[in-house]
Amino acid sequence: MEGFLSLVMEPLREMLLKFRAFLPGFLAMLTIVVLGLFIAWLSKKILTKTLNALKFDSWCDRMGITALMRKGDLWAKPSEVTAAVIFWLLAAVSLMVGLNALNIQAIDNLVNKFFLYLPNVFSAVLILFVGYMVSGFLGRAVLIAVVNSGLGYAKLLSNSIRLLLSVLFLSMALEQLNVAPSIVISAFTIIFGGIVIALAVSFGVAGIETARKIIEGGKTEAEKHDKGDVEHL
Amino acid sequence: MADFYQTGIITTLHRLGNPSLERIEAELVEHAKARPVALVLPALYSEFEGKAMPGIIAELAKVRYINKIVLVLAKASEKEFANVGKLMSSIPYEVRIIHNDGKRIREIYGTFGRNGLDPGEDGKGRSAWLAYGYVIADGVCDVIALHDCDILTYSREMPARLCYPVVNPNLDYVFCKGFYSRVTDKMHGRVTRLLITPLVRSLRTLTKDHPFLTFLDSFRYPLSGEFCMTTDVARVNRIPSDWGLEVGALAEVYRNYSPRRICQVDIAETYEHKHQALSAEDPNKGLMKMTVDICKSVFRTLASEGVVFSDGFFKTLQAAYLRMAEDTIMKFEADAAINGLTFDRHEEAKAIEAFADGIGMAAQVFFENPMGTALIPNWNRVTSAIPGILDMLKKAVEEDNR
Repeated sequence: MEGFLSLVMEPLREMLLKFRAFLPGFLAMLTIVVLGLFIAWLSKKILTKTLNALKFDSWCDRMGITALMRKGDLWAKPSEVTAAVIFWLLAAVSLMVGLNALNIQAIDNLVNKFFLYLPNVFSAVLILFVGYMVSGFLGRAVLIAVVNSGLGYAKLLSNSIRLLLSVLFLSMALEQLNVAPSIVISAFTIIFGGIVIALAVSFGVAGIETARKIIEGGKTEAEKHDKGDVEHL
Repeated sequence: MADFYQTGIITTLHRLGNPSLERIEAELVEHAKARPVALVLPALYSEFEGKAMPGIIAELAKVRYINKIVLVLAKASEKEFANVGKLMSSIPYEVRIIHNDGKRIREIYGTFGRNGLDPGEDGKGRSAWLAYGYVIADGVCDVIALHDCDILTYSREMPARLCYPVVNPNLDYVFCKGFYSRVTDKMHGRVTRLLITPLVRSLRTLTKDHPFLTFLDSFRYPLSGEFCMTTDVARVNRIPSDWGLEVGALAEVYRNYSPRRICQVDIAETYEHKHQALSAEDPNKGLMKMTVDICKSVFRTLASEGVVFSDGFFKTLQAAYLRMAEDTIMKFEADAAINGLTFDRHEEAKAIEAFADGIGMAAQVFFENPMGTALIPNWNRVTSAIPGILDMLKKAVEEDNR
């Protein structure tokens, strides 16, 4: 009888011991997560007020960032979206730190990987932001230059430049995030290579006559100079 | 039958003989290939529950020259918006419904607000202005026609005659205003008959026929909510967002275009729509609000043209208006008598007294704030302030209609 009782009680006793060992870590995790969520919520509120005071939404409207968001059917204010992103980032960080408090090997590895990956995310966001500005700036510059030179297809050229630069910076961001890097690099090489070859072929074919005129014009000028310097009406 | 007298300094297109609707529509179908037409309909949801709207939808379904209908729906929930979509689905060509109270359009208005652009209070002016923006963003239509959605006597002859002068390249008007007689068993249109006409003529006397007043007096029904214009006019015009919309729109057209390119057209044998109560005691509602807003719009336009207003001027104006309006009553009484119409002289006189008070109130408001409520900025200014706004507006409407 005693043997039977000890067989029943022993696993329960072990479970209780394990639970007692686990409980402080679990409570620490809950505390960290709740505190982290509160800090994230507070940061969101402060950031929203700060961005409103700085007229961030109005700046985004003029820079075209709002228009980009609307193209993606995102209709919140840019300040709200920014604050929401910061909130969820802080919430994710607090969750990771909280999980770390459990002292479980597998979770520790996951948390380490998460924190090691964060800088890649930041640099990818920075690349996309800079890329958007640069492509917008160069696209506008090309538009103005082509319009001023009187050539046709100004808008087509400007949009093409903008698209090509967007593809370039998007590829850089994806490569930074380590999202199928070999596929991204191959796809980028094929697309850009294809565009360059197409431009070369089309310029070569279309420019044959022009090239001939330039060469023949150069020959005629050279012959004129050989005949002597005296010219008269 | 109407006469063929040309009134004032703009062209008047009469209804002469028995004009064939089929011929007008056939020509419009042909011309609209080069000059596509958008029909803008500012509407409240309550109008879809009324008697007029089903008739309007049935008539518009038979029209073949309109490229797109842009209906601006105000005071409607999501469910009501979906309901309107179903009701308009019987129209065989493109219909886009701008959900004024939807989250996307509300965010568009928010974008205007935070960039210092005020499209005014919720109302017909703002709704029409937003619809113009969508048509400009769409880039397809060259002509915009607009009419109300509470017309009980609607027929497709109305939009046909309204669009014809602007769509026909041989006529090539940039702006066309509809006019009609609002007669049932009695004369309606008190504000036009008893306020606008006597007021404008009194002002003409006091300002020695100021050109703007001569222009305004040329219109047979200046408060008509039916007009047609080119998209360029919609792009540059600034309009009031209150009841001064019609007069303010005419003022902008006067400032920006030659009277030779403006016309008015007889669009209906008879026209019947909702009537507003006089509400003589309350300047914030009914015809009194309309009176005050219209007078403010006229005064501010004249002030911007260099006319100097003083206390004595307004006192003289009120006296001149009362006299002119009383004479006008006599004329309408004679007109009603010969045509067998009911005419309540006492009611007409009460209306005139209320309108005279309205002129006084408008003068008071004008003195307190000569600049007044700013006009809605034109779309050229808006796109300069927010470069991607037209794309955003188009995207919002397309997503709402998906």
